[in-house]
This record gives sequence, C-alpha cells and structure tokens, in this order.
Amino acid sequence: MGIDRVGTSDVEAVRRVLGGDTDAYATLVARYRDRLARYAVHMLGNREDAEEALQDAFVRAYRSLERCDDGARFGAWLYGILVNRCRTTGARAARRGRVFVRDEAALNGVAHPSAAEQTEGEDVVRWALARLTPEYREAFLLKHVEDLEYEEMAQLTGAGVSALKMRVKRAREQLQAILREAERV
Amino acid sequence: MFEPDEELIGRVVRQLRRPVTVDAGLDARVMEQIARLPARRTGGLRATWRWIIRPRTIRLSPLGALAIAAVFVAVVLWRPDRPSSPAPASARAFGFVVVAPRAATVSLVGDFNDWDAARTPMQRTRKDESVWTTVIPLTPGRYRYAFLVDGVAWLADPAAPAARDDEFGAPSSVVTVGGS
Repeated sequence: MGIDRVGTSDVEAVRRVLGGDTDAYATLVARYRDRLARYAVHMLGNREDAEEALQDAFVRAYRSLERCDDGARFGAWLYGILVNRCRTTGARAARRGRVFVRDEAALNGVAHPSAAEQTEGEDVVRWALARLTPEYREAFLLKHVEDLEYEEMAQLTGAGVSALKMRVKRAREQLQAILREAERV
Repeated sequence: MFEPDEELIGRVVRQLRRPVTVDAGLDARVMEQIARLPARRTGGLRATWRWIIRPRTIRLSPLGALAIAAVFVAVVLWRPDRPSSPAPASARAFGFVVVAPRAATVSLVGDFNDWDAARTPMQRTRKDESVWTTVIPLTPGRYRYAFLVDGVAWLADPAAPAARDDEFGAPSSVVTVGGS
C-alpha cells in the first residue's frame, strides 16, 4: 500500500493553503491525523508525547509547506516530518527518563507480564515494542504496521535500504524472543 | 504452545494496526496554533541568519589542523564580537563545529533547541566543505547536545565532556556556559 497518494485532493488542499486559505489545512489534518497518530503512539510509547509530536509535525508542515514540492506527495512529506519529530521527542523524553529504558537492570525490575496479563495482548505487544531500540522499533513500525516499501522508508529515515532490512529483521527476531520469554512466565 | 514465528509477528502487526485515538481537540489545537502564526515569510529572516553565520564571521583558522586530524567531530567555542540582538542580555554567541566529510546535512540538537533537528541546521564552511558550523546564543547554564548527521547518525563531541544520560542510545556532550 505504501504512503497513499491522495492525489488531487491533497494537491488542491495544499494549493489553497499556499494561496492563503488557512482553513483548507484542516482537511489535511483530519485526513492524516489518525494514521500518523498510530505511528507516533507506537513509536513513542506515550500518548502525551505522541500528541505533542503530532501537533508539532502538523504545525511544522504548515510553516514549511512551500518546501513540499509535490502536493500529491504531501502525505509522504508530512510523514517524514513526523518520523523526524518522533526521533527528537523520543530522545528528549528518554533524557527525562519518561519512556524508554535501555538499562537491562531497570528493565528486569519492571513487572513482567504474567500469563493472565497476556490476555491483554496489546499491552504485551506495546511492552515488547518498547524494549526494542528506537531504530529497530522505527523500522518495524514503518515496514509492518505502516506498510511502507523499503525505498519509501529510506526516503523517510535517511537510512539505506540494506540497513533498514537488517533493522526490520532484527526487530522481528527480538520481538519474537521477547514475546516467547513473556509466554514462558 | 508456541505459535510459529510468522503467526506471532502477524498477531503483533494486527494489534499494532488497530486504530489509535488521540485527543479529539488535537485538530482544533493545530488550527489555533496556525492561526496565531505570523504571515508567511519569504525567507528574509532565514537569509539574515545565514548571513550572520557565514564562515567569514567565524574564526576557524585554529581548527584547520583539527579538521584534518579529527576523524569525525570537533568543536570549538568562542565569542564573536557582535552580540546576538534577539537573545537575552545574558546570552553569549557560541559556535559549534563538526567535521563530517560525507554528510549531506548536519544539525545541532540539544537542550537549547528542544532536540529539534529542524531548528539549528549547520552550514558548510567555504574553506573546507567537510567542516560544518553554526552559532547560537546561549544563556548561562549547562546544556547537553549532539550533532545529527543526515538525520540519522548522532555524534557526540569528543572535545567536550560526554553526557552520561544517553539512555536513548544517542551519544551526547555537555557544554557549560558560565555567567559573565
């Protein structure tokens, strides 16, 4: 599926916004909000940070709309802004110690989901996803959840296709290992 | 009983693809924030900023040898003679330099710009295109920072103290700005 080209609808909305019709931007916000929100929430693991990143990405895109060379590609361009924003938001949040913990000792101290808790599958998945490095999590989400092609991912992330394939592979392996471990508890 | 690997990943993907709801007021907040923005600029402010940080205003000569010797990154701090007018009176202009020969873009990110890669893009110097520079006003305080190369590679500054709290996996450095 990739990053959808909405085509003339986006082209027209972008043209109107650039022409001074600020309200036309609301159409674009409504159109892309949910999909981008899903990525941000999963990437950052924190709804508050995700909404902040999402809002900032929309505003940043509006301010830089002249740099969107092709209105039909507005969605992909906006996606790139959000991916970048999530990286910096994630880094900042981590520095505040709010979201991602990479210290194994600290992770081991986190309550392991019990068998009963595993019935709440989404919580377990989110927990497992949060244990991936940001690079692996980003690659996994873009490939498997957002259904992007590797070439599109390369454009969004600045990483090479081979590196992205490796990240996705490792992410899958690590997710499987983490979830298998959770199943044993 | 374990699922086959593909089924397990498939289950994960199905769960992650479920719709995520965000605050219903997000759209309104975006539009309100946009409504408060000034009229679109044509780049005048950006051009002025670029003029201010042109390499000729930066004393890079001591860095020539460093640029050759450094593998990836170097930084120098100095005080330009001219004050930065929009900054607080206590702010001082600090220059950051990084050697990144293969980079297409380099940004300075840190506590001072909310770790936002878009806010402080660095510029290539004229003398040596592998050297990237920028100048920012900093008020007295302690700041963590890093260089973001091509939007993906985080580089700490080997010439500055390392920040210990790099739990996101991105190395960073610390600069301390003293009072006058």
